[in-house]
Amino acid sequence: MLANAMRQAVRLLWAHKTRALLTMFGLVWGTASVIFLVSWGHGVTAMLETGFFRAGKNMGEVWAGKSSEQFSPAVDRRYLWFTLDDVVRLRNRARLPEVIGAETWEMLPITFRQRAHTVDIRGIDPETLEIRGVRMAAGRGITRADLEHRRRVVVLGHRIRSRLLAGEGQIDSWVRIAGKPFRVVGLLERVGTQLSRDRMEIDEQAWIPITTLQTGWPSWWTDDEVVTKILYRMRDRSLLEETEAEVRAILAEGLGVSADDEEAVGIWSAIEMLNRIPLDELSGFLFILAAATLLIGGVGILNMMLDSVHERRHEIGLRLAIGARRNDVVMQFFLETFAIIVIGGLVGVAFGVLACLALAQVQVDDLIPVPVFQLDIVFVTLAILGFVGMAAGVIPAWRAARVDPASMLRME
Amino acid sequence: MSVHGDGQANPVIRLSEVHKHYDTGPLDVHALRGIDLEIYPGEFVAIMGPSGSGKTTLMEIMGCLSRPSLGDFRLNGRNVEEISANGLARIRGEEIGFVFQSFNLLPRLSLIENVELPLVYRRVGRRERRDRAVTALARVGLDHRARHSPMEISGGERQRVAIARALVNAPSLLLADEPTGNLDSVTGDEILKLLHTIHAEGATVVIVTHDRTIGEQAERQLAIRDGLIAGDRERR
Repeated sequence: MLANAMRQAVRLLWAHKTRALLTMFGLVWGTASVIFLVSWGHGVTAMLETGFFRAGKNMGEVWAGKSSEQFSPAVDRRYLWFTLDDVVRLRNRARLPEVIGAETWEMLPITFRQRAHTVDIRGIDPETLEIRGVRMAAGRGITRADLEHRRRVVVLGHRIRSRLLAGEGQIDSWVRIAGKPFRVVGLLERVGTQLSRDRMEIDEQAWIPITTLQTGWPSWWTDDEVVTKILYRMRDRSLLEETEAEVRAILAEGLGVSADDEEAVGIWSAIEMLNRIPLDELSGFLFILAAATLLIGGVGILNMMLDSVHERRHEIGLRLAIGARRNDVVMQFFLETFAIIVIGGLVGVAFGVLACLALAQVQVDDLIPVPVFQLDIVFVTLAILGFVGMAAGVIPAWRAARVDPASMLRME
Repeated sequence: MSVHGDGQANPVIRLSEVHKHYDTGPLDVHALRGIDLEIYPGEFVAIMGPSGSGKTTLMEIMGCLSRPSLGDFRLNGRNVEEISANGLARIRGEEIGFVFQSFNLLPRLSLIENVELPLVYRRVGRRERRDRAVTALARVGLDHRARHSPMEISGGERQRVAIARALVNAPSLLLADEPTGNLDSVTGDEILKLLHTIHAEGATVVIVTHDRTIGEQAERQLAIRDGLIAGDRERR
């Protein structure tokens, strides 16, 4: 019965090629839109994640701020800072972060031969190197031994390397940071545009051992060896809040403030940012937009089929006269409409999937959303198509059932 | 020779006091005003009358395409009043064959598919459908063109295919509404000859026509005027 209806539907479409093509266009466009726009929505999410995670995947950043408690009538606020002891304590006690690293920074001039740039110098440790997750283009990163011996070694970001060394220097070249000689031991691969950063992007940073920075450029307000930021990577991004709470409680204890003092221990995570962007709403909006197009396409088919019932009332009368029951006619028109919608829908699905796959092949350097095709959207689209087909099929069928078989003889 | 009037056989069609109204708003059309009629197996009847006389309405009722407003209609002894809509559809498919003035073949189907159509609605299997349709086409001499489209054949051939379609279910009653109306006289004669052949093989045939020369070839002629039977005579 369905195969027969399919054959009828194809014949019907073939008999009115232009009309069918024009009407089908809306349906094909609608179906392809659902697939394409929803995939593109996935692409936006993927692009945002890529952009945010370029500074470090599933990373949290912790800084010390001001205590919000009143210590004495004279001093109502106290400035706080971390040291490497805090980092060690956190590593020993925290369960939820996977890796914990330290970072301290200065803006300092860096020179090589005749070229000089003021650069974001980061004092880091091997764990920070791991959390940032930037691959080495050449040489090595910062090691534990570098930290212990406070070595004057530097790893250069991609852009600062090309601006500073400019093809004349390489691994083992010597550069000067604020006058002090440093040996280049590593070069970073290009990271690209970051959606989250503090000060300069990684491509413009130069990394040295944290202890070297602390010794060479001590802070002017304390004798402590200050850690500007503690970085950690979550074991699981769904444990965002639990991880933050654990980290804050441990660090707050070291600073002598209450365990939930968010001003004293500030924490920022790109995941929080990602969660706050209304990506689901965007996807939902795109989906509704596309599904509405699909529905309108279905209305076009419905209109065509109503026309068809009107044109074919003679045929319907004949079928009734030679023994068709009303149910046979109802079923025939329902299935024909359904079949046309399914045929148009499948063409649309093919176009949508092809468009997604073709665009996914395009290599884009930077943050441009590219559709991310997932199979489940095809099933969702087919479900909508089924619904549209049912809804659009019922009306012409009902109209066909009202044809009076006696009209057969009168229309002669 | 027919056997009606002697109670020796049950009539195929029996109408008593049949009325038909069409209530079309301000205009109440009284198309049939009390028809009494019996048609017996094996008869060849021509129903004649000018347009507007009610002959098409009578044809619709005999073909179970509509029901009488008043009166009693029995087809092969069963009261049509008591049969459901689906039951009537089954009767139209199995016991009645229609032949129309404008042939009414479905242009998108091949000739054999057109002939098969009544069998499709009787849920006959594919192979048997094919066999019976080929047999019916052979009977009208068109089995060699089974795969052709209705567009590719002449009017006379189309009417022969329509007759094959009407015969495929071996109906007890063949109803033809102006079957030669759209044909030239030579082709029309051929179609009539075919109907006579089918009649000679045992079918009951009822033709509606306004053409006196066609009517006069029938064994029995009924004249209809203003919704009443104005004459009923047999050719001697």
